[in-house]
Amino acid sequence: MRKTFSIITAFFCLFAKLGAEEARVSIARAALAKGESAQGVILKELMGRADESILPLLDAWRKDRLYLYEPTGAPGVPVLLEGAKDGKGAQVAVSVATGKAIGLRLVADDLNSVAHSANLRRIMKAVLDLTDLSSANRAKKLGALAAIGQGQQVEKLPALERRLPLETDPAVIKALREALALVRLKSPDAEIRLAALRELESLQSLASTDFIKSLQKDPATLKDVRLADAARTALLAVERHRTVVDFGGTLFRSLSLGSILIIVALGLAITFGLMGVINMAHGEMIAIGAYTTYVVQNVFANGLALSPFGFSISLPGLHTTGWWRESYFLFALPLSFLVAAGAGILLERGVIRFLYRRPLESLLATWGVSLLLQQLLRLTFGANNVQVGSPAYLSGNWIFGDVLLGWNRVFVIGFATLIVVGVWLVLTRTSVGLLIRSVTQNRSMAACMGVRTERVNMLTFALGSGLAGLAGAFLSQIGNVGPSLGQSYVVDSFMVVVVGGVGDLVGTVISGLGIGSFDQFTQQYSPAIAGGLANVPFVGGALQNLAQDSAVFGKILVLCVIILFLQWRPSGLFAARTRSLD
Amino acid sequence: MSNTRIASLLSVGALALASLVSPARAEETVKVGVLHSLSGTMAISETSLRDVLLFTFDEINAKGGVLGKKITPVVVDGASNWPLFAEKAKQLLEQDKVAVTFGCWTSVSRKSVLPVYEKNNGLLFYPVQYEGEEESKNVAYTAEAVNQQATPAVDYLLAQGVKKFYLLGSDYVYPQTTNLVLLEYLLSKGVPIENIGGGFRKDASGKIISAGKYTPFGHTDYQQIVAEIKQFSAGGGAAVVSTLNGDTNVPFFKEYAASGLTAESCPVVSFSISEDEFRGLPADKLVGQLGCWTYFQTIKSPANKKFVADFQAWLGKSTVPGIVKDGRVTCSPMVLSYDGVYLWKACVEKAGSFDVDKVRDAWKSGLSFDGPGGKVTTQPNMHLTKNVFIGETKADGQFKILKSFDNVYGEPWLKGKFK
Repeated sequence: MRKTFSIITAFFCLFAKLGAEEARVSIARAALAKGESAQGVILKELMGRADESILPLLDAWRKDRLYLYEPTGAPGVPVLLEGAKDGKGAQVAVSVATGKAIGLRLVADDLNSVAHSANLRRIMKAVLDLTDLSSANRAKKLGALAAIGQGQQVEKLPALERRLPLETDPAVIKALREALALVRLKSPDAEIRLAALRELESLQSLASTDFIKSLQKDPATLKDVRLADAARTALLAVERHRTVVDFGGTLFRSLSLGSILIIVALGLAITFGLMGVINMAHGEMIAIGAYTTYVVQNVFANGLALSPFGFSISLPGLHTTGWWRESYFLFALPLSFLVAAGAGILLERGVIRFLYRRPLESLLATWGVSLLLQQLLRLTFGANNVQVGSPAYLSGNWIFGDVLLGWNRVFVIGFATLIVVGVWLVLTRTSVGLLIRSVTQNRSMAACMGVRTERVNMLTFALGSGLAGLAGAFLSQIGNVGPSLGQSYVVDSFMVVVVGGVGDLVGTVISGLGIGSFDQFTQQYSPAIAGGLANVPFVGGALQNLAQDSAVFGKILVLCVIILFLQWRPSGLFAARTRSLD
Repeated sequence: MSNTRIASLLSVGALALASLVSPARAEETVKVGVLHSLSGTMAISETSLRDVLLFTFDEINAKGGVLGKKITPVVVDGASNWPLFAEKAKQLLEQDKVAVTFGCWTSVSRKSVLPVYEKNNGLLFYPVQYEGEEESKNVAYTAEAVNQQATPAVDYLLAQGVKKFYLLGSDYVYPQTTNLVLLEYLLSKGVPIENIGGGFRKDASGKIISAGKYTPFGHTDYQQIVAEIKQFSAGGGAAVVSTLNGDTNVPFFKEYAASGLTAESCPVVSFSISEDEFRGLPADKLVGQLGCWTYFQTIKSPANKKFVADFQAWLGKSTVPGIVKDGRVTCSPMVLSYDGVYLWKACVEKAGSFDVDKVRDAWKSGLSFDGPGGKVTTQPNMHLTKNVFIGETKADGQFKILKSFDNVYGEPWLKGKFK
């Protein structure tokens, strides 16, 4: 019995081997063929073939690692370069057609890689899609399913149908059903098309809108009342679902923008809100945090050479790889807090402590410091933006019922919650917090009670600046890191603190979330609302055009609302009643 | 006698000496203006153009100059301040009496100096892709016109099977005008209007006056726009045509990547990102995204290899104060500046004179130069015929060339042309 089995296995191996030879030969032939369309025809023949050599060869082709060895006076040979490089950079050349070494060592830079256009790559992808369908990688599988569905290629139906009973992952099953339904929309049989429409309706597939609409324009559909009806109801269901997704997405985006606003404003809520110092250099503290992240990133990689004021400093690199390199951000967070807090102490000791009772002077002096710091950053790191990479754990996303949650945004929301709670605990549950609160409520009284107000001031300012530094570490993940980074956020920070009510953390949190949501909801819904108002005489058209620039429109509306709000409540949402703020 | 008086007497003497000597030297030199922003927001891009111009002058001077005269550059700083550009242009033309000026990057700076050049009958060589709808006899547009960048890119996308286009740009004249032309072009190619994303603005009579989504300079929050693109591209076959400028590309592409969009599912073709911009952008986030220019550093021709090597060697030796020497690359505006200088030289030599009118006539007669990006030929409408390349971004901030269109005729008047 066992013997028979092994014979059969051997036979299958042999068969597979023969098949592999074939695919290799066609790929070699395609590589040599003249013209994109001829190459495409040969590659399309590979579709649906289960052959292990297809994936590595096409992958090498796509990534420019398939080379053409062109000996003078002989036809070219497509080769792969394998094995270690020797002293001259040469590697063993392996013929694509035979899979065997051709007995030469070649240097990659001397050879031309076989060209490929986006069209050819699409064909390669279609070939690989079918291979990917049985891939163990979930993302690959989903990508392949989406591509097949959008391609509406009827010839792939059997492959899809075969997969359906094999899958267990609900997301994959949903994608598979969606792909099946989309492909079946192309079916010549009206009953199958009808069933496909009903399936899309129950799936509430956002991707299907365009396909259903083009089906609606098909004269065959127009004649068939049932089809036209089904298409209409399916579209309605999809649109209803889209409304829900839009709302969910907007809510999430509001939370994330609100969290960013809270993070950038929290430090200011302490320095400005609690201490009453108008700190125009708050933005630069954010920038210092962002640059700290940049430096940490480079130290974890290959080091960094800086040349401030003509000196050259070179920071050694740790040359970490893999997870360690990715983890740089976790180290950057506390460091950016500490560095910015240190800068805050210097600023407080050097400038601000002389200006505690003179807000106007402190405004001017800190503005000067902010210009100074910007120029310092420019001289040290250059005027260009620097690049801070996102670690893998911050660059993916989750999808819940078609609402997309980016990991970086989820992280921002979680982190904002953490630091708000942390700051609240420090202020209300620790002795330092008690001292800070006493000094901010009544400085002279606290001093009389024996509190060393100078030291408390310094610590409070350091805390505020450190929080700004943390914000900078975050902003490096979603935007630019440049010398003028702080400028873009300092106005927003003041806005949040003023609306929230100077001197109150809860106010800052509520106002950050409120401003964030207001901005996002206007961006999302202003075109729709303005569309509804289009028929209003005189202003309708103008409103609609204004709403078209929704990104700007949101900002304008936020500012208008804030101005009106401050007319109504000049001291913000939560007005603190302390004598020192009067 | 105090020290200062001695000094002033000495300097008067030196001036007198200089004025005695200079007539003899003036015979051998010709003054050429360089008008770029060397400070302010545009300095990052424009300083590279100054560098390449100085390099070109040195290269020409080493071979004997123009009509036997050595080029003396007069470099002035427009400081990213548009009215200042006009003042500096006036200074170049009226005080320094330059034979020609190479300069300007933004369209607004060009519009600002245009009256000065027209009044003084000067000649300006303008090297950066622009929106068209302009043709002055006092400007030699070596720049890409819309049909040498935007429409070939759209042709390429259409050939790749793209059916839906989302227009996105920074809010100023170049993206606005380009997108209006693109809208007409796409409609003329049979793309239905509902497949063009980003929204429209209409005037009272319902005529479209603006197409696409625009964000201000320095915008950072692209969440909502990317979510919209994600839905727009859900059915496949979609692409983004981006005229976003400068560093707003960073938050946009970070958001784009985080939302799971890729160059395969919804490619972005950007008209304002060249090799030089990648010095400040994360190239690894843009791998596979498309660019369209009349030159890429990766062009494999002996002329380009020599140009890149010579420029790098010149940078290494350069003593220009503050010049950046590390990590420098070459890009399309730089090469068009380089081509411009050589074309001017060819025109002057054909005319046998530095006189602007004669140089212009020589330009209109159709002269060619084999530059790093291939042959460029001057046209009677003051533009250039040149090759156009579509490229795909690689992780090192260079482009892999996917397709080329040879000898595309520069056409500035495109509004209302595609029906």
